[in-house]
Amino acid sequence: MIKYFASRMALALPTLIAVLFITFSLIAVSPFDPVKMMLAAAEMGLDNAENVARMREALGLDRPFLLRFADYVQGLLAGDWGTSINGQRDVWRMIENGFPVSAQLGLAAAVMTAVIGIPLGILAAVKQNSWIDYAIVAVTLVLRTMPVYVLAPVLLIVLVLQLKVMTVPRGWEGVFNSKAILPILLLTFGPLAVVVRQTRQAVLDVVANDYVRTARAKGLSDYLVVARHILRNALIPIVTIMGFVTEGLIAGSIFMESIFAIPGFGSVSEAAFRGFDYPVIMGVTIVSSVLVILTNTIIDMIYPVLDPRVRLEG
Amino acid sequence: MTQTDAEPAGSGGAVTLPEIRRQRSLWGDALRKLVRNRLAVLGLAITGVLIFGALFGPALAPYSYTQQHLLRTAELPSADFWFGTDEIGRDMFSRILYGARTAVMVAAISTLISVVLGMVIGAAAGYGGGWIDSMILRVTDITMSMPSILLAALIAATVKQPVINWAKSVYEQTGFPLFADVTWLDLVIVFGGLSLVFWPVYARLIRGQILSLREKEFIEAARASGVPALHIATRHLMPNALGPVIVQLTFSFSAGMVLESSLSYLGIGIQPPQASWGNMISSNIGSWSYRPWLVVVPSLTLAIATLGVNFLGDGLNDALNPRSSTK
Repeated sequence: MIKYFASRMALALPTLIAVLFITFSLIAVSPFDPVKMMLAAAEMGLDNAENVARMREALGLDRPFLLRFADYVQGLLAGDWGTSINGQRDVWRMIENGFPVSAQLGLAAAVMTAVIGIPLGILAAVKQNSWIDYAIVAVTLVLRTMPVYVLAPVLLIVLVLQLKVMTVPRGWEGVFNSKAILPILLLTFGPLAVVVRQTRQAVLDVVANDYVRTARAKGLSDYLVVARHILRNALIPIVTIMGFVTEGLIAGSIFMESIFAIPGFGSVSEAAFRGFDYPVIMGVTIVSSVLVILTNTIIDMIYPVLDPRVRLEG
Repeated sequence: MTQTDAEPAGSGGAVTLPEIRRQRSLWGDALRKLVRNRLAVLGLAITGVLIFGALFGPALAPYSYTQQHLLRTAELPSADFWFGTDEIGRDMFSRILYGARTAVMVAAISTLISVVLGMVIGAAAGYGGGWIDSMILRVTDITMSMPSILLAALIAATVKQPVINWAKSVYEQTGFPLFADVTWLDLVIVFGGLSLVFWPVYARLIRGQILSLREKEFIEAARASGVPALHIATRHLMPNALGPVIVQLTFSFSAGMVLESSLSYLGIGIQPPQASWGNMISSNIGSWSYRPWLVVVPSLTLAIATLGVNFLGDGLNDALNPRSSTK
């Protein structure tokens, strides 16, 4: 197990370096020129070509691309993630402050997704092609299809303007505060359909197998068949899907947090993309990729636990 | 996933048993299953309307998407303006139709680019094997380890300005009329970003299909009985490999529409005054509490459109998956 984890990490490292390299190259071709910006910010008419060239030399920005890349990676390792263009803030600080908030939201939403999604998926499969099945698949698909920036205002219009059951939730006061209910629900809606669909399909695939027919023929109740035979085998695709959930949470929080003014990781990303704040864009991309790579590794480690037929290779 | 070990399409050699093929073909079966699925039929209808709107939108639209009715700004839906007007007096219905064109064009072209890329690269990996295979797998790993919205947004945010500068300088030097107006470059950047996000999915899908089908007994049987390679490819490999690809096509089509809207919502996709459902939502979301219809109209349009395509995709998935049981 440990050996497998080590070998997976050995594979993840080049992937991560490639991700760094791609983001760095993209930023390198971006219109953002730190030297011109710094000189323009000084507002002393210093941003002429000669000064720009001199400053670039002083900062080492005239050196070859690969050397600068090496510098950047070294900086990352030393904890220097650069400074944001808008507001001159430390990028790592911004991420460090925002991330715990988003992580709490994300975890709460992941738990909700599993708690709601798996039973709904099983129900849909057991009642295949009935109106219950159609309703579950359709409603979850509707919720998934709507991006957060569609669903959030529509829900607010219904709940705040029409039904008047709540005021507009703004800000962040911990995951157990009532303000967090709507954001967590919104984050749940995205991956919910995937979990439901996968559970449903997994159950249907398993039901078609002979051993389930045997169990039925022996006279086992539907409940026992589902619990003993179907659910255990159906867990595998569900675990796979958790990877998509991570990605969905990262992407979902980008839009959700800005709408509800939650000071998390998503707000940082959203502001960065809106303001073309390249150092921050790079930071959030790297952090997100690390998250995805880690999740995938962990998922692959869970497989063999659930299904002895799957062997760890590596 | 489930598609990788699909069962043979026509049982046995289709050449020697023509009467069996006449009775039940994979595509005929699939069509029957699809038509029986009500959600899929609904999805087909919505997709049809969407594509019709995208093709003929400019002819159907009562006004131009930029025409401002300055005395009638922010109106509720009426006989003159079916979906109302926005805060600077533009007809929402016309903008929705033009937005449909943007969404369909982006989704269709980026899906097409990525499926072609994915098929070529995936086939190279599947047939090439060895170091080609492992190299391609690594590259797909890298692309897939970035969340798709972030990758697309990163590309759109960084590459756009250099490309526009390049186009401008080309225009200055050559006077090439294509580069006189650079608004269409927005679209190109979005196509590029989305294609880069989608192609690994297809590459893996095709590779997996080739690897699993190549070893299947019915292919071996066909080869052993002397069926020509081309015939095996077109009559046995293709029908079995195509199902999952068609299903994936519909899903990337709807994902493409959503991603385009998301990029436009973030302000790095289609730029105003070009109509995109995403930038319509984005520019009106500030006033959701007192002019809710300005947000609701583009929101629901986007939701219904993606939903329709997804329903169709789900129906196709059930219809083309030989293992999924039906009543």
